[in-house]
Amino acid sequence: MGPLAPYEIISENTNFLLAFFIGIGFGFVLESSGFSSSRKLAGIFYGYDTVVLKVFFTGAITCMLGLLLMSLFGWIDLDLVYVNPTYLTSAIVGGVIMGAGFIMGGFCPGTSFCGAAIGKIDAIVFIGGLFIGVYGFAFTYGLWEKLFMDRYLGEPKVSESLGLSDGLFGLMLILAAIGMFYVAEWAEKKWPRPEY
Amino acid sequence: MKPLKLLALIIIPMGIILAAVPADKTRHFRLTADELLQEAGAGVQFISPDVVADMLVQKDPLLQLIDVRTPEEFEAFSLPGAINIPLSNLLAEEYVDLLNQDTRTNIFYSNGSVFANQAWMITRQLGYENNFVLEGGLNYWFSNVLSATEPAQTSPNEEFARYDFRKSAAAALGGGSIVSTEGAAPATAAKKPPVASKAKKKAAGGC
Repeated sequence: MGPLAPYEIISENTNFLLAFFIGIGFGFVLESSGFSSSRKLAGIFYGYDTVVLKVFFTGAITCMLGLLLMSLFGWIDLDLVYVNPTYLTSAIVGGVIMGAGFIMGGFCPGTSFCGAAIGKIDAIVFIGGLFIGVYGFAFTYGLWEKLFMDRYLGEPKVSESLGLSDGLFGLMLILAAIGMFYVAEWAEKKWPRPEY
Repeated sequence: MKPLKLLALIIIPMGIILAAVPADKTRHFRLTADELLQEAGAGVQFISPDVVADMLVQKDPLLQLIDVRTPEEFEAFSLPGAINIPLSNLLAEEYVDLLNQDTRTNIFYSNGSVFANQAWMITRQLGYENNFVLEGGLNYWFSNVLSATEPAQTSPNEEFARYDFRKSAAAALGGGSIVSTEGAAPATAAKKPPVASKAKKKAAGGC
């Protein structure tokens, strides 16, 4: 049956409309989880607040479970689901830049828009920096192209490279996540910070 | 603490279920019945005998003829360069690489087109590409390609062109030297005369 757009069950425009509503839902969850506060976000790096870890891992696991179950029932063809191609070098370099920006700015791109939506000035400044980075990269693309395209790995899956079935890897990821959640809650008690 | 326990209680059993079931359990076939019906209805699997004859004459390296009849029938006669995969053995492990590939053009043939079509349907449902069916099968091949009858004087030019092509293709293919499988080669030569005689009454059968 699915995915809906590649099978042309819904049109491209309907697809965008659904993406719009899902985007609003995403923003709503971010804001209601407190992601518009850069102090809360930065808490993950200091241990006093691990909501980032919990929300994003819960999101990832929910999505993974849903896709695997729907695939099991024959509702979605996982071969047709878009997987971001992996360019190893740029993934590492980009990850480092993104992580450094996250610690310094206290936002990641999505949450900065969330913060800007409720009028946080630091989030608006962060978005300004984000656009400078985007345009800076775009206009100097020729300099980075080699690095950007380096070590192309196709669309590898962790389960494939470990030789495990998707379901087994999924279970391991769930157990790892639950374990991390308990550690996170322990860390929050260990390094508490009442006012932020 | 409470929500975390609840979350663990819900998702860990689901993870165990997913880890325990085989991944593709519900999907034996890549194509739905609808898609297959559409393809079969449109006749996309058929390759006309003239195209196949042309590929044979040109010695197209990408052509792979596959005889789906029994080994006995294959021994008695086969098309040049054909290999034998009896329909009953179609799903044998050793043929998977041959049938599921994207470079060569596999063309199934049988006496008519029924068995070849069955082979195509099975491989197509498994999601294999590049498998086709010789339209009309060997019977049509014999009566129309190898022993083409001269069209009536009033026929359109295309008829004559096709006739000329078939004549020369028959000459090229009927020589017997092209056949690589030694066992089948003499049989080809031996089979030819009866075919030629049959051609006389075939005039009415043209499409």
